[in-house]
Amino acid sequence: MKKLICLTINGKEYELAVAPNMTLADLLREELLLTGTKKGCELGDCGTCTVIMNGKAVNSCLVLAVQASGKEITTVEGLETEDGLHPLQEKFIENGAIQCGFCTSGMLLSGKALLDKTPKPDELEIRTAISGNLCRCTGYQKIVESIKDASEMDPR
Amino acid sequence: MLLPRFEFHEPATVEEACRILGELGDKAKTLAGGTDLLVNMKKKVVAPDHVVSLDRIASLAEMGSDNGTFRIGACAKAVEIAQSDAIGTDFPALQGGAAKLGSPLIRNLATIGGNLVSARPAADFPPPLMAYGAKVVLKSGNGGRTVALSDFIKGPGQTVIAPEEILDSILIEKPESYSGSAYIKLGIREALEISLVNVAVFMTTDGPDGPIKAARVVMGSVGPTPLLSPAAEKTLLGEKPSEALFLAAGEAAAMDSKPIDDFRASADYKRAMVKELTRRALVQAYGNI
Repeated sequence: MKKLICLTINGKEYELAVAPNMTLADLLREELLLTGTKKGCELGDCGTCTVIMNGKAVNSCLVLAVQASGKEITTVEGLETEDGLHPLQEKFIENGAIQCGFCTSGMLLSGKALLDKTPKPDELEIRTAISGNLCRCTGYQKIVESIKDASEMDPR
Repeated sequence: MLLPRFEFHEPATVEEACRILGELGDKAKTLAGGTDLLVNMKKKVVAPDHVVSLDRIASLAEMGSDNGTFRIGACAKAVEIAQSDAIGTDFPALQGGAAKLGSPLIRNLATIGGNLVSARPAADFPPPLMAYGAKVVLKSGNGGRTVALSDFIKGPGQTVIAPEEILDSILIEKPESYSGSAYIKLGIREALEISLVNVAVFMTTDGPDGPIKAARVVMGSVGPTPLLSPAAEKTLLGEKPSEALFLAAGEAAAMDSKPIDDFRASADYKRAMVKELTRRALVQAYGNI
């Protein structure tokens, strides 16, 4: 039997009926067509499905949509504002921190969750924050540099 | 990767959860952080008809000190334990275990209770908790019971919890003055790693320079459950802390370990690592007395 849930995604409120066995990742991608959130391993190992839920970066493949009821979710689609791209997005582009791009949304959201709590992280903090996000292109260096560079920009 | 179908229950209180589990028995699985259960359901290792989520039960997420006993609700997240100042001050080995579990993404979901009930031999929470002599509180419709953690875990994935019971909380006594503890996890990489060997130690000395009057060494990943080393404890008790003593305790612990050869490492290697990690953990624990 479907359950009714209310949640906020990228600042917009949704009321939806979902099957209990639907994951948050599938809700975002299949129902809401927010396909910026990727699915890789679907077992919590790769981090491509990372979203921010109530301020914390989580694997959306390991959260049931019903568990997300009442929560605030940010996906990669929510990073851009009317002022333009998020500083992280700008720096990723500028530094070429994107190769195939599959890990990028997860990296951006783990980076954002870090900067929201720790505006001036050191390198170890950055590397730890993205340690649940795998980049098969092994482009970690530029990703780390981009998060560092974004942390040094004036906040908007 | 699809999850099997199930009915979803979201009790608001422990009592309601116990009632639901009492009615459903082994047709139901309890969902805490989901980082084990949902993975096993996707892999079709388990396919419960009912899933009872503990997510909305506020009391299970709380932690705090009461009369010298620290209570951690079973649904406290690994990240909260890793970042708790109270735990960092009194229970550094527990904080170490929490900080080494999975990845930041997993730590934001995974719960301490789930980690205990999953009872994986390489898990990060049981060794430090056993080193502190932790007890677990189980609740059911018929009341509750308190069990020592060392009696709670029976084997890989096996605990004494009954289908109608839930793990409510973990209790640890605030250590006496002049106590120190440490947790060391050995893996091939820093994140998302399953321990090759892990060791948690706890010790109390008789005053700042006195002999050791209490000691526990717990080894993970070298037996079907985390193992307490009686020989290491015996080596340490009544002796003055020294490098040589810690080395001897490491050798004793290695003798008590029961590793097997597997794809992660050979039994010989794991035994050698028990010795060295025990020595290092004791040095660290003595350093934070």
